[in-house]
Amino acid sequence: MAEVSLKGIKKSYGRVDVIKGVDIHINEGEFVVFVGPSGCGKSTLLRVVAGLEDVTEGVIEIGGRVVNELPPKERGVAMVFQSYAIFPHMTVRENIAFGLTIAGASRQEKQQKVAEAARILQMEHLLDRRPSQLSGGQRQRVAIGRAITRKPAVFLFDEPLSNLDAALRMDMRMEIGRLRRQLGTTMIYVTHDQVEAMTLADRIVVLKDGQVMQIGAPMELYHQPANRFVAGFLGAPSMNFLKVDVLDLDGEAATVGNQSLEPIRVTTRRRPFRKDGKAILGIRPQHLRAVQSGKGMLHGVVAHAERLGSETVVDLTLRDDRELIAAFNEDKIFQPGDALELAFDTALAHLFPEEG
Amino acid sequence: MAFDPDNYGLRLFVRYLVLCLIALIFIFPLVFMINSSFKPDNQLLADTSSLRAFVPVGDISLNNYFGAFRRAPVGLFVLNSVLVTGATVLLSLLICSLAAFSFAFLRWKGRDVVFSIVIATLIIPFETIAIPLLLLVSKLPWIGLEGLQWGWLNTYRVQIIPWIADGLTIFLFVQYFKGLPGELIEAGRVEGASWWQVYYRIVMPLSGPVLATAAILKFLVMYNQYLWPLIVVQQETYRPVMVGLGYFFQLNVAWGEVMAYLTLITVPVLIFYLFLQRAFIASIASTGVKG
Amino acid sequence: MASKLTLSNRTGWTFALPGFALIFTFIVLPFFFAIGLSLTNQRLLSPNPTQFVGLENYRQLLDFAVVTLEPERNEAGEVVRDEAGEIQYPRLRAITRSDDHPQYRGMREWFRWQSGENVRVVIANDVVFMKALVNTFLFVLVVAPVQGGLALMLALLINQKLRGISVFRTIYFMPVVVSIVVVSLLWRFIYDGQNGLLNSILQGLSFGLFQPVDWLGEPSTALPAIMAMSIWQAVGFHMVIWLAGLQTISPTLYEAAAIEGASKWQTFRYVTWPGLRNTAVLVLVVITIQGFALFAQIDVMTNGGPRDSTQTLVFQAVERGYGKQDISGGSTISVILFAIVLAISLIQRWLTRER
Repeated sequence: MAEVSLKGIKKSYGRVDVIKGVDIHINEGEFVVFVGPSGCGKSTLLRVVAGLEDVTEGVIEIGGRVVNELPPKERGVAMVFQSYAIFPHMTVRENIAFGLTIAGASRQEKQQKVAEAARILQMEHLLDRRPSQLSGGQRQRVAIGRAITRKPAVFLFDEPLSNLDAALRMDMRMEIGRLRRQLGTTMIYVTHDQVEAMTLADRIVVLKDGQVMQIGAPMELYHQPANRFVAGFLGAPSMNFLKVDVLDLDGEAATVGNQSLEPIRVTTRRRPFRKDGKAILGIRPQHLRAVQSGKGMLHGVVAHAERLGSETVVDLTLRDDRELIAAFNEDKIFQPGDALELAFDTALAHLFPEEG
Repeated sequence: MAFDPDNYGLRLFVRYLVLCLIALIFIFPLVFMINSSFKPDNQLLADTSSLRAFVPVGDISLNNYFGAFRRAPVGLFVLNSVLVTGATVLLSLLICSLAAFSFAFLRWKGRDVVFSIVIATLIIPFETIAIPLLLLVSKLPWIGLEGLQWGWLNTYRVQIIPWIADGLTIFLFVQYFKGLPGELIEAGRVEGASWWQVYYRIVMPLSGPVLATAAILKFLVMYNQYLWPLIVVQQETYRPVMVGLGYFFQLNVAWGEVMAYLTLITVPVLIFYLFLQRAFIASIASTGVKG
Repeated sequence: MASKLTLSNRTGWTFALPGFALIFTFIVLPFFFAIGLSLTNQRLLSPNPTQFVGLENYRQLLDFAVVTLEPERNEAGEVVRDEAGEIQYPRLRAITRSDDHPQYRGMREWFRWQSGENVRVVIANDVVFMKALVNTFLFVLVVAPVQGGLALMLALLINQKLRGISVFRTIYFMPVVVSIVVVSLLWRFIYDGQNGLLNSILQGLSFGLFQPVDWLGEPSTALPAIMAMSIWQAVGFHMVIWLAGLQTISPTLYEAAAIEGASKWQTFRYVTWPGLRNTAVLVLVVITIQGFALFAQIDVMTNGGPRDSTQTLVFQAVERGYGKQDISGGSTISVILFAIVLAISLIQRWLTRER
């Protein structure tokens, strides 16, 4: 177990800056998820911690030790790859024992540690198989088994579940959560899937274009997104963003509205706005509810509805021709063309400055 | 058009007929060679005027084979060829794959320049450097059991060492290595393997196809060597099979013995080929696809 | 700028060094030796010290000129004819040995043609080399398209889905694994003038009407005979390269063509052939480079004869450099050959460049 600290990390390939100054401190035993769209630099950041890539600037510390110049094997890390990266020419047993073999461990030690890993991952019966005889989920388990046998100080996961199908992904997600409680090791987990991030992480690091957008506990990010990007990235369906006019400002709150939205008062969370200027109002689809005619804050026409059984997702066209998504947690029938009035709790709405 | 079984059968027959006729064109000299090796000279020459050339008829015996062994140290030549070919193939696989590993996976100063030089040698035909190479090897030093010697002529090493490394073999390995999943190599590194361990524990065990390709191509080149041993080996002790042919054209030429010798040095390769034909053909194909 | 972490200078060099050192010593170094030697007058066992002679060797090989011979005329200025009515010309020696034309000294006739009353004679310093050069180009110009085309036809034939097709593929490829030396010897029997297999077959097919030909003994047939044999030996090799190219074409393209109702020829023209463009360039270049290296067939079958009709560049390079121990002469031919091959490789790169 060890803490991991990234200080002022920059990484460029030639003239292209992939990581533009990142500071993250990860506590001992913490499970941190790096999340962001593809190309945001999350995998590069992980590979920098692993020692597979060097940094252009900045300091990486693992367990209080600067590891910038140390090769992967001296950093005390283990890594699970997206493609599993288990060796096809070795049996499961040989794969799991690979790190120990390289380290010159005794046969007895290897046997004991492989058995332990196999027990934790419930794959004792697979030990003598070859990777080609395994399913995707089993392969990923072997890769995890290989990582845990060496008792690393830090676990690194690089999109470990994205090659699995949806059902298996959920199983493995839960398994990783269980493993995490069992081992208590520091873990850094990279994914583009917000569900994995929300369910697994102690803290989430949201990255975009090589910069940290926000760091915090999942619910903190969900309920108090620092900016429009984080707000839009977490939660499904994505948060609605409406362009609104700032009608009035008074200390903590602003009155906003537009031609499809009745004027409402929303807290500004100390973000700067100008009276008579523009702002972006963010409302999660789940926070919208249908109300009787005449009582709505938003007026729209149903364009399309998806019934998922547990919820109904409605795509609306507002008066100003903009789109709005609403999610109702019940099965309801809507016809395209139906007029719909919506209301929401203004305390749950977010106001962001217009990007410029 | 309706399906017409008769028409279909006829077309199938014509297809096979064409394929068979073409096959005859490719196979007849070899059939002639093997059959002739069993015939006395006068019959061999007389038979060439008819189809008898392609069937083992008349005075059939193994006399030509005995004659060939009397005329030349056939066993020695075959042994030399096998030795030189075997040693070159093995050393080539090791040294070229190591170099290719370095080009494909490692980052080092000068790598791109060195790799460009290696690739540029692909367009130097061996025949254009044979004479200067001969001058060079005739003056190279060697430290052997007898101490320091100068000149490599009339040795095994002169037939082996210059042929170990070549641009094509290295190129084939590099192409193959670059096609391996990079995460396997990274996983090895994270698990603590040194580059050497990555090479022999991960990359080599996964390189069966390219090893077969490189071995087969090198084997064909080495076993069929002609010009090079012709000019660097004057002593019988070190001669390979193709140069050994010269023995059969000194003084009176006994064609039956020539055929017996040709059969002896060719048929083992053909059998080897027939067993591994898939690998042989795949190896040639892989030189083509990558270009 | 990479740090110590990802830069492995020592390991990188250690792994690459054995291979690179061997290639450098046994390919790169001799190559530069060849260039260096071609600028000297080095001979293997010469009492005279080696001297730098600049491009003299190249001039010796490549120098040629066209001279015009005018008909001999009598005092009246009439053209002299012999009894058969043929115009009489002065001997070529009158020019090549004359002090009036020191630049032509030592040159010999290469070929001549009639131009009106006059005869134009191409004279060259090294007629054998010129013939070798022309023969080599001729060989390549004939073999490259014919072998490439036949190989493609065989590949299309073999690419069918038929039971036992791999047996035929195996047989067509067989000559490739046989040494070219062995193949050349066997084909001496096929081409033999008296009772060669080829003559026997042609006589049989024409019911005895065919007059036997000494295929390798006639200047007009020797080179074509060697071309035919070379095509036979290596066509399987190129068939396999074509096959590999054919298999890179996605089957869905053929299915799409079939649904669109394309005929066999249209399918080939619009689906197969465009997919083979790079393979085509590769096949042609490989054949060309192999063709320029033509040696073993000549050495085993004709030794350059009859009357220099099968001389080739490599055969000359080896004969001079090794046989006659004229190291600098042999090296010069090698360098010229390399220059040709380099030019062809550059053309190939240009043809297959990324667009």
